[in-house]
Amino acid sequence: MPYILLVIVAILVLWIISIYNFFVSSKTRVGASIQEIGNQLKRQAELIPNLEASAKGYLAHEKGIFNELTAARKAISSAVDSGNLKKMADAGKMLSDVLPKIQVVVESNPEIKGSEVVKNLMDELRDTSDKVMYARRLLIDLTADYNVRLVSFPSSVIAGIFHFEKLKGFETPMEADELKVTGEEMKTPKINL
Amino acid sequence: MKNIYEVQSANKLKSAIIVGLFVVFVFLATYILTNAYGYYMGYQPGGLGFFGIALIVSGVSSFISYYYSDKIVLGISGARRANPTEDKLFTQVIENLCIGAGLSKPALYVIDDPSPNAFATGRDPSHAVICATTGLLSKLDRSEMEGVFAHELTHIKSYDTRLMAVVAVMVGLIALLGDWFMRSMWWGGRRRSDNEGEAATIFIVLGIIFAILSPIVGTLIQLAISRRREFVADAGSVAITRQPQDLISALQKISEDPETLRSANKATAHLYIENPFKKKGHGKVGWFSGIFDTHPPITERIKALKSMA
Repeated sequence: MPYILLVIVAILVLWIISIYNFFVSSKTRVGASIQEIGNQLKRQAELIPNLEASAKGYLAHEKGIFNELTAARKAISSAVDSGNLKKMADAGKMLSDVLPKIQVVVESNPEIKGSEVVKNLMDELRDTSDKVMYARRLLIDLTADYNVRLVSFPSSVIAGIFHFEKLKGFETPMEADELKVTGEEMKTPKINL
Repeated sequence: MKNIYEVQSANKLKSAIIVGLFVVFVFLATYILTNAYGYYMGYQPGGLGFFGIALIVSGVSSFISYYYSDKIVLGISGARRANPTEDKLFTQVIENLCIGAGLSKPALYVIDDPSPNAFATGRDPSHAVICATTGLLSKLDRSEMEGVFAHELTHIKSYDTRLMAVVAVMVGLIALLGDWFMRSMWWGGRRRSDNEGEAATIFIVLGIIFAILSPIVGTLIQLAISRRREFVADAGSVAITRQPQDLISALQKISEDPETLRSANKATAHLYIENPFKKKGHGKVGWFSGIFDTHPPITERIKALKSMA
């Protein structure tokens, strides 16, 4: 009888250790994935001067776009250096707002669209924004795993004992205009050709 | 409609049940066959017995397949290493998906073949290999490729590649034991004594039944595991890309392509994302004709993916 008790206690201790380790290692991974987002944003920012140089001839009359690109690049560099996820997200958004504008210019000019340089440019742009997106995906998934275990029984008990707290992950506004749909937006769009 | 997390956990449970069934079956078959052999010969080696010897043999061969399966498979398929500048898109897509899945980048290989297909192998995520045909790299667009390679990365992440290598060895072992027993019957046992009684008779009869049936049953369970893992990997692919539509259109392109893969054979067929041997006129079929397939029907896979969309 005492042996059975001993085995049960041993299993229980091992289980507590494994849950504890899950929370600790998840926290570390989440931290690493935040660094990875910064890393990818930085890569994106460093790529921009090259892209500008290669496409400048084609996009010469689009001065506005280039100014926005430069501003976004500076914002990213300083945000990544600060290590603040919120700032990184904002800087990343600046850049992802500019990129579609380049796309529009390219799409509307058949002669530009055909050029090999610009094609490469568009490929690189897609690649770099995919990399940032997937880096965010990892952070979101890791945080979700952690937070699910934090609130679900029985791991929630262990989390309570060791005071593990909810992780914020990638912050998106929960009550912003983007998340609301107005009556106007619900209507089927009419297109005049 | 289920979300991808529910699909993933349901899939994991189902495949755990099948794998558990397989392990029980392998032990049972090995136990009965080795005992039957022992009774038939009227002799048991001291210490481990035939059962122990069989377990050691299977352990050693699993170990070999554990370490060398990737090299053997790549050798059979005639794959070459991918070149980062030539196969730029391939390299980029895998890099990006690995960031999203939190995996280290696997070694990339290319098979020169116009039939679009891909597979993953290797014993664990840090020794993983992803191999694609030139047909796949030229016929699919970037988003479809992401769907296919996310499917392969899921196989790697969930250690399917290791599992299938070991399962294949186990099935081979049972077939070997059955064969061994039947051959010994042919030559006749010698030192059989009458005082062993009923146990001997029962074991010998069971041994004959198992020798005939277990290779078939083993193969069927192996195929069931293989099909289940495809569903798991499809769901995992969506968990990484969140774009079921791209994987659906990739699967359609791959299954509708008229070319067949020359470098695939029966031993490597289960590795690929879609069965490399095309079947014509494969509409709605009964479950029986499906139990010998390495992959679930493409219509079933698309149906499962659509439920996630």
